[in-house]
Amino acid sequence: MNIIKNLYNWIDERVKLEDLVNFLGKKYVPVHRNSVWYYFGGVSLFFFIIQVVTGILLLFYYKGSADLAFESIQFIMSKVQFGWLIRSIHSWAANLFILAAFIHMFSVYFEKSYRKPREITWVTGMLMFFLALGFGFSGYLLPWNELAFFATKVGTDIAGAVPLIGETLKIFLRGGEEVTGATLSRLFGFHVALLPGIFTALLTIHLLLVQRQGMSEPLRVEALKQSEKKTMPFFPNFLLRDLLLWLLILNVLAILAVFFPSELGRKADLFASAPAGIKPEWYFLFMFQTLKYIPAHLLIFEGEVVGILLFMVAGVLWLLVPFWDTKSSKGQQNRLINYLGLFAVIFIIVLTILGWIA
Amino acid sequence: MKSFLSFLLLISFFGIYSNASATEDQCFVCHESIGGAEVELYKKDIHFKKGISCSGCHGGDSTSEDMETAMSKADGFIGVPKGANVSKVCTKCHSNAQIMIKQYNSALPWNQEALLAQSVHGNLSVSGKEQIVSCTTCHNTHGIVNVKDPSSPVYPVNLPKTCAKCHSDAKYMRTYNPALPVDQLDKYRTSKHGILNAKGDPKVAECTSCHGSHEIRSSKDVKSKVYAINLPKTCSTCHSNSNYMQGYNIPSDQFDKYSGSVHGKLLLEKNDFNAPACNDCHGNHSATPPGIESISKVCGTCHALNAELFSSSPHKKAFDQKRLPECETCHGDHAIITATDKLLGVQNGAVCKWCHGDKPESKAFQTAKFMRELRDSLVNEEENALLLINDAEQKGIEISDVKFKLRDAKQALFESRTMVHSFDQSKFSETIDKGLNVTTSVTQDMSNAIDDYYFRRWGLGVSSLIITILAMSLFFYIKRIEKS
Repeated sequence: MNIIKNLYNWIDERVKLEDLVNFLGKKYVPVHRNSVWYYFGGVSLFFFIIQVVTGILLLFYYKGSADLAFESIQFIMSKVQFGWLIRSIHSWAANLFILAAFIHMFSVYFEKSYRKPREITWVTGMLMFFLALGFGFSGYLLPWNELAFFATKVGTDIAGAVPLIGETLKIFLRGGEEVTGATLSRLFGFHVALLPGIFTALLTIHLLLVQRQGMSEPLRVEALKQSEKKTMPFFPNFLLRDLLLWLLILNVLAILAVFFPSELGRKADLFASAPAGIKPEWYFLFMFQTLKYIPAHLLIFEGEVVGILLFMVAGVLWLLVPFWDTKSSKGQQNRLINYLGLFAVIFIIVLTILGWIA
Repeated sequence: MKSFLSFLLLISFFGIYSNASATEDQCFVCHESIGGAEVELYKKDIHFKKGISCSGCHGGDSTSEDMETAMSKADGFIGVPKGANVSKVCTKCHSNAQIMIKQYNSALPWNQEALLAQSVHGNLSVSGKEQIVSCTTCHNTHGIVNVKDPSSPVYPVNLPKTCAKCHSDAKYMRTYNPALPVDQLDKYRTSKHGILNAKGDPKVAECTSCHGSHEIRSSKDVKSKVYAINLPKTCSTCHSNSNYMQGYNIPSDQFDKYSGSVHGKLLLEKNDFNAPACNDCHGNHSATPPGIESISKVCGTCHALNAELFSSSPHKKAFDQKRLPECETCHGDHAIITATDKLLGVQNGAVCKWCHGDKPESKAFQTAKFMRELRDSLVNEEENALLLINDAEQKGIEISDVKFKLRDAKQALFESRTMVHSFDQSKFSETIDKGLNVTTSVTQDMSNAIDDYYFRRWGLGVSSLIITILAMSLFFYIKRIEKS
């Protein structure tokens, strides 16, 4: 223990750790019946950290070219010590990261935590959420297997239907007219360099803002007298609870990786016909399924284009919710927000299930 | 046949266009008085005998004694038909069913012209104005006789020579198909068919028996009678007809046997052109059964390694001495079935047992026994390795590279089948050992992978325990600090 204390003192002399400890010691987390949702921000962060660590380990062996990608993952899965574990954890954590981000986003939305003064926190969070979807899309192709190849083809085809910029966007994503090795190299670059770089910058801003502004209180708690509010010290209480949850999640990840290791499937064949039932990853499924239900033509417009436009408008409105929901910022109840959020949750769940069983 | 058809064709024609009898035919009367080879030939012509006048082919008025009138263009006189007109003259009757049936009560088919047009001979000649072959090319002009008449150029015994007029003329054939050999007649004369044909046997196969007559197509044409998948049926037309084959002292069940053989199934059911048809073993124009000593060479044209190994094995000398047909002794001839492991060894059903089964102490017996046991061991090892791979696959272990590796064991099994023909223990062992090394390596890899799979679970158990202890410690620590 003396060694730890000496080390702490050594660092404290140089960087004044005491100030930071004092700052953390003064931070409190509101305690109320919905406090549990606070943990999902930390859970999302934990999954992101796991992704970074396992991603770096995979990078030691992964080769991002059409000729070698599939074989390099075969090698990781069969020859590299614990390669199967690292890849399976990376794959499971990717999905759970997006699930945690979904939950975190909706909990913030329903608690109206985006309201003034936390608009920037919400916007950075939403941008990270979109980047997380980008991580999922770009990472899905990297094994260069049959399913990934055709799902990327379908996905980029949908991007190609975006009005005005669609064709350019499609060619940009594919690195050409078709999904080829060039697409793999490009998405690999996005996945390991571009997206992590932007994500890290946004995450830094997001976390700094959370630390600076503290945890948001729900409107009903905010309205209470100071003496009626319950709180919990951020350090060490909340942080230790976070740590406890992270440990449990780590165990769940290990169980999933051992009992349901990530599959590899068949190597992508550019000249083969698409296998039946090609579907995107589950987090894109509700959009994919919606586009399938929209008729080919709506009046003079193409159904798919209308669908994509609607999703884009919905996404922009969702991103900018702190700026048009002025009632919440004034501390007033806004039931419209709740109804819209409820509709979005039900819509996503129902369409995802329909897409899954289709 | 061709002569007969042509003959009837001319009969029909003359029947329509000239009702005059030969004696009333002023063309013939006049030309006979002048003399000439055409008239002499025509006297023997089947059309002449049917009362068909010269004007039937040449046009004009055969009833008129006046030469100007008889040979008047106004009356349709065309003189000597040339080029494409030659066949047109014949087909005026021979392609007209009404004339052939009603006028001459003929049973001849009236589609020869259509068949000829679709045949390889129906292509345009180098002049581009006519077909390569017209009716008279094979049937003659004024001396056309029934196809069954031994003097007909298309009488079976004469037919090879008739065809050879063009097909043995290298200069002529070069203008149409330089790649086509011109030695078919020479080869044919060395064949059983050709020898008997030369002796005057009209029943044996000649050119049209296999290639067809008017409908001859390129052997590469799928409709050709000698196209690979059609050839066995073509040969069987005669060879499966026991009545027809009477007197030749050969069986007539070859086609049935062949159809059920590994070769027949491949060619006739799976359309695998790598499998041999009759001509691949017997030759085509020079068709004859391969001699006892040359069977391994004939089979060796495809099964090259087997033949080479056999030729250098102790069996070669022994087989030659005992006058045993080489490959055929163990594998059969037309009814060759897929060679399986059952053929090898000294147990019931093994072919080695036929000669060596009664001498267990002999080297040959021991070799056969050893080879079978060795091969069985590789088969078993490969099956075990495959079971382990499947087990590993079920457990989610990556197996594609070991599966690929195991193909070498399968390859060794294939090679060992060939190596059997060396009848040499050391060579055979060498091949089997290659496979056994692979199966040992694969089995080891898979056993390690499956052990690793169970180790994963143990590892998970241990790590879960550690995490649980940590989590519980943390939980109680949190409780403690929150309480305080």
